[in-house]
Amino acid sequence: MNGAGIKEPILELRDIVFGYKLRKGENIRIFDGLSLDVKYAEFVGIAGPSGCGKSTLIRIMAGLIKPEKGEVLFRGKPLKKPTPRIGIMFQNPALFPWYTVLENIMLALIHEKDLSEEDKIERARVFLDMVGLTAFESAYPAELSGGMKARVALARALVSQPDLLLMDEPFSNLDPLTAISLRREVESLWLNQSMPPSSVVMVSHDIEELVELSDRIIVLTKRPAKIAGIIEVDLDRPRQRRSPEFYKYVDEVYTLLS
Amino acid sequence: MAILEELLTILAAVGMSWARMTAALIISIIFSLCVGIPAAVDRVAEKIIIPVLDILQSIPILSFFPIALYAFIIIHPVIGPELAAIFLIFTSQAWNITFGVYKSVRLIPPELLEASKALDLSLWRRLSSLYIPAAFPGIASNLPASWANGLYFLVACEIISIGEARWSLPGIGTLSTSYIMAGRMIEFIMSLAAVVAAVILTNLLVFIPLMRLSERYKFEERAAEIPRVWIEKVSGWLSRVARRISFSVSPRITLFELRIPWKASRILLIAVLMVMVALLGHSISGRVSAEVTLAWAQDVVEAFQRLGVVDPLVMIGFSLARVSAAVAFGLLWTLPVAILIYEKRTLEKILIPPFQVIASFPATLILPLIAKTVMDLGLPLELGAFLMILLGTQWYLLFFLLDGLRSIPYEEEEVCKALAMTRLQKLRHLYLPRILPSLIMGLIVCFGGGWNTLVIAERAVLGGFTWDLRAPGIGRMLSIAVDEGDLALLIAATIWMAGFIVLLNRLLWRRLYEKAVRIVGVA
Repeated sequence: MNGAGIKEPILELRDIVFGYKLRKGENIRIFDGLSLDVKYAEFVGIAGPSGCGKSTLIRIMAGLIKPEKGEVLFRGKPLKKPTPRIGIMFQNPALFPWYTVLENIMLALIHEKDLSEEDKIERARVFLDMVGLTAFESAYPAELSGGMKARVALARALVSQPDLLLMDEPFSNLDPLTAISLRREVESLWLNQSMPPSSVVMVSHDIEELVELSDRIIVLTKRPAKIAGIIEVDLDRPRQRRSPEFYKYVDEVYTLLS
Repeated sequence: MAILEELLTILAAVGMSWARMTAALIISIIFSLCVGIPAAVDRVAEKIIIPVLDILQSIPILSFFPIALYAFIIIHPVIGPELAAIFLIFTSQAWNITFGVYKSVRLIPPELLEASKALDLSLWRRLSSLYIPAAFPGIASNLPASWANGLYFLVACEIISIGEARWSLPGIGTLSTSYIMAGRMIEFIMSLAAVVAAVILTNLLVFIPLMRLSERYKFEERAAEIPRVWIEKVSGWLSRVARRISFSVSPRITLFELRIPWKASRILLIAVLMVMVALLGHSISGRVSAEVTLAWAQDVVEAFQRLGVVDPLVMIGFSLARVSAAVAFGLLWTLPVAILIYEKRTLEKILIPPFQVIASFPATLILPLIAKTVMDLGLPLELGAFLMILLGTQWYLLFFLLDGLRSIPYEEEEVCKALAMTRLQKLRHLYLPRILPSLIMGLIVCFGGGWNTLVIAERAVLGGFTWDLRAPGIGRMLSIAVDEGDLALLIAATIWMAGFIVLLNRLLWRRLYEKAVRIVGVA
């Protein structure tokens, strides 16, 4: 299987503590000492009951949210703030409406000081092609369908050639057919060794989706979230949703969730 | 003891001014319902009402005040000035409330409209159970701005002089100006403090509870339970009392149960409008004969000829430069401050309440002070005009910019953060494009305020002395025309100024705004 044998973690979360303060002064604990890791070349799925802090977790992994206590290590070094080496795709594509598709993707190259403008355009085009939207480079987001917007968001998350791709419910706003094709694209990109990313972390409430894509599924408990269990999915890719083995894993996740 | 007496005088003056403002506000609300609801529900009405409102709100209020004053004195010589003052305040309060009603009513979900159609509700039922409740948030959210606007013009309309004729209406504007003229600074500061206190109390006790109450009438989802406000309690109590009385006194008040079929209501509306216009025409024409009207028209044509073309253009050019300079300076400080407040949540809590109080404080109250100080110290007169225009405009900009920044979707902020943008990059790629529509909207309102202030800032007769820039300016021209009692010249100059403003709005601002909306892609 892809990347089997490499056990180095690319991302480590150690004893993460995080909470929100309500207006009444009440503290809601989201994480009370959560630890987990993501290995090189691994596809990790994260499941959990709604409101358990899955989205918060992915934002902590991205360096968007600072945990109150605990450490986030990316490639062995503490992660202090977001880096182009980690790409993130949100549930909402959040493209800037005043920029074209190509310009939106190029925004993610803002820190590449060594690249000339032409190089940036060139690179953005490569990734636009990868998500199959070459013909739409000068279109504006308002002119795109939901699925196309998600593809642009994916290209933007990958154009900086990150080692790690984080996805927060990336397919939940799409119609089923679009979601199927986009899932396949993400899987084949990740399987392709010469292309980024090496590892993927995906948060989803769609258990089938998680079983279809993940090497490992981390199931979280209710707040404050702890790890309810970790399921290694040992199935050949591309995985067949209708097979009984597939459903054995799905049931396993549901059992851990309830 | 003298101070206490003075304080009572000040409080009485504030009370009188507040009564004037309240009268105007009630008329404004009735107007906004009568005009805003038809504009929102009827396509034909919308096509007529919205452009007319647009032009009305771009005419400088102070320039047509003397004209309105003449009309009201013709209607009734004794209470005419008072009616004219209320009318002037009304014109400063009504437009934004009307637009608020129009926008709120348009937000009614189509399902509700269909339901009311399916139930075949009568006109009154539709108004009372759908349109007026839907309009409530639009009215409530515009009350503080309208009050501040009205206050701004209150000062200008309490002291009126046209030619030799002079009126001063009892109120805080008249009183505070008389304090400045007499050099009684302690009393002047006391009157300012009284106005600030009254503004804060009005907002706390009336407007903020009303806005909170109006949350209930919004169609969008809301996060939290809304606590009951005192107005609700009192109104609940009043309605219980009223019900008890109506049950015991009369079998039932049947007036509101009149069933007017919805389809007939448009015809009814047009009929009511025609009757109103006819009544107004009759009340004026009864006192003004056809010959007099014709003579007036000739006077105005003659005034246009006197003015020529070059002079008004030069005056407008000077005035435009003055307003532009003040607005540019305002933008220079409000943009960074708005961004700072937006980014630092804690700063918002500290800065916004005092800013709101300062913003709602009528700058016109301090204009005489600025005029006197600049003249006494021998500073350049243009500096005085600059300060006056700045005071009348800068707050609009700050609040519009803040509104624009607050409308930035959280997801876009997050993308910028994930892409590790620097502050400068964020400013360029997110803030500037996002605030563009609000910025242009703010500039439109700002220039509107600026043109209004010009009528005072370029020249003003302030009781004992005359503030005069002695340089070309269309506001100065208007002021001179008022001073000389030359109504024809006043009308001509007003048409020049209003025409230029409407043209500027249509040719520049409107296009810029539409372009900005297109770029940002807001629906």
